[in-house]
Amino acid sequence: MVKTLQNYIGGEWVDASTDKTTPVINPATCDIIAEVPESNATDVDAAVQAALEGFEEWRQTPILSRAQYMSRLKTICEDRFEEISKTVVEENGKTLDEARGEIRRGIESIDFAMGVPFLMRNDGLEDISSGIDETTIRQPAGVFAAITPFNFPFMVPLWFLPTAITCGNSFILKPSPQTPISMQILYEILDDLDLPEGVVNLVQGGIPASEAILEHPQITGISFVGSTPVAKLIYEKGTRAGKRVQAQGGAKNYIAVLPDADINASVRNILGAAYGCAGQRCLAAAVAVGVGDAYDGLRDNLVDLASGLKVGYGLDETTQMGTVVNDAAKERIERMIQNAVDAGATIALDGRGVKVEGYDGWFVGPTIIENVTRDMEIATEEVFGPVLALMKADDFDEAVDIVNNSHFGNAASIFTSSGKYARDFKYRVNAGNIGVNIGVAAPSASFPFGGQKDSFFGDLHGQGMDSIEFYTERKVVIERWV
Amino acid sequence: MPLLNNFGAVFTFAIQLEDTLHDYYQTLDDSGAAQAAKKRIEKLERARREYVVEITLEPIEDLDSDDYVLDTSETTEAGRATIEDTMERFYKDAAPKMNVRQAQRILEKCGKQFERTL
Repeated sequence: MVKTLQNYIGGEWVDASTDKTTPVINPATCDIIAEVPESNATDVDAAVQAALEGFEEWRQTPILSRAQYMSRLKTICEDRFEEISKTVVEENGKTLDEARGEIRRGIESIDFAMGVPFLMRNDGLEDISSGIDETTIRQPAGVFAAITPFNFPFMVPLWFLPTAITCGNSFILKPSPQTPISMQILYEILDDLDLPEGVVNLVQGGIPASEAILEHPQITGISFVGSTPVAKLIYEKGTRAGKRVQAQGGAKNYIAVLPDADINASVRNILGAAYGCAGQRCLAAAVAVGVGDAYDGLRDNLVDLASGLKVGYGLDETTQMGTVVNDAAKERIERMIQNAVDAGATIALDGRGVKVEGYDGWFVGPTIIENVTRDMEIATEEVFGPVLALMKADDFDEAVDIVNNSHFGNAASIFTSSGKYARDFKYRVNAGNIGVNIGVAAPSASFPFGGQKDSFFGDLHGQGMDSIEFYTERKVVIERWV
Repeated sequence: MPLLNNFGAVFTFAIQLEDTLHDYYQTLDDSGAAQAAKKRIEKLERARREYVVEITLEPIEDLDSDDYVLDTSETTEAGRATIEDTMERFYKDAAPKMNVRQAQRILEKCGKQFERTL
């Protein structure tokens, strides 16, 4: 009998208010590994009331003490690193290395939060008029919530939770119902920290819990990462309800490869960018544009190396690409491959029908599609799977035009040995994260996670100083004592 | 696990080798060498945890665990030397395959410890 997960509210593990549950399925073995409760508005309200209660004590806890909790959180995450990594593999299907990399990046966000005492400091001026001083202070803003996706089930929540609470807020997390188990572990760790009750709360579930978070009047702000249609909806509903919202949506990330690029090094890196996490990442390389003479070498090397990638169960450490998250994802990916063929593209490497001995899971092998034109669905819409489309551009300007044609603007990369073209690319391309000779342009924790156009809705991004702005209220104090 | 085709696979294999070596040294009653193997295991576990860079994970080629089999049934001086040669060779082959300098350094340092014992 598999375990039914619980919510963590007010410092206690509690059952959700409904009996309705959804199975959590290991995408490689297809075994049911847990049941996640379908929490609803009652559960969310309980979490909000606990968070409001916890907030008053927590905001008065000295900021250095709040940061110390992060130090202990990091220590326990390091101690349980392998266990968390394996759990992420079991619930998500990625490889063990990818899971370890994810946990590492999550811990980097905890490191960042330890710097909040420095980052929350503000400025001031004496004598803005005779005997009058003016300063700004930052204060925590209340109860924040995050709704997080399946593709980085441990890392993405940590973009938000550590900074939010170290700033003095209380927090509610609703992870993806497809990958809720690693957050169960995180909250076990948080429980061990003996934070004041209500500072951190976990509500497991799906759409009803998300809707309740959006509608709850006592939640100050919401962070969201997911698909573009949902991000847009969350932004519209949340801001209409008077909340701060940062909503990160989907992507279609282009990579331009110039003839002067080191083709071997470029292809190895593009391979990781396209097929890492089975392409289920908002920074995945989706379209590689070969400029001029670069195309043929790019195509041949990519097909050669990608066809050698070992697809399998992530817990087998020699696996180089894991599964996609569920059967619906597999069907969607395979349908989009077929749509590309029907639209006139050709398949250089077909990952459909890949079988992994001993496993019935949702495997899709590395796929490369060529003869893609800019109006095809495969060039414009997010696949979120291990599919790389290839396009040709006559010159650099055409490549930039192709990249900027996308309605998404999450990331774009260039591979070149020319400083001039690298600089022009950074200057002209409309995307929030730019890579130069790196295919996954993922900002580290002290930089904001960019995103433009249909890839982001809001003003302040996750991570970096943006997160300090998002999680605090600034107050100006004007003083006269003479 | 013949293929060492990933960052983690290389480190996990190194840990397995060191674990085997630790037991071997204990059989030889060389507690100092066994302790050194234990320390290397801790170092390798830390490196696997801390130096994995999610955005530059790339396939590793031409490294096969079958090339580094330790024959621990051989407890003579010559047998021990062969085992330690194999360890040194493994670390020398594996280090350049890493695309993270800190990870390379750990493997190089582990390899150097076998140079000294020869």
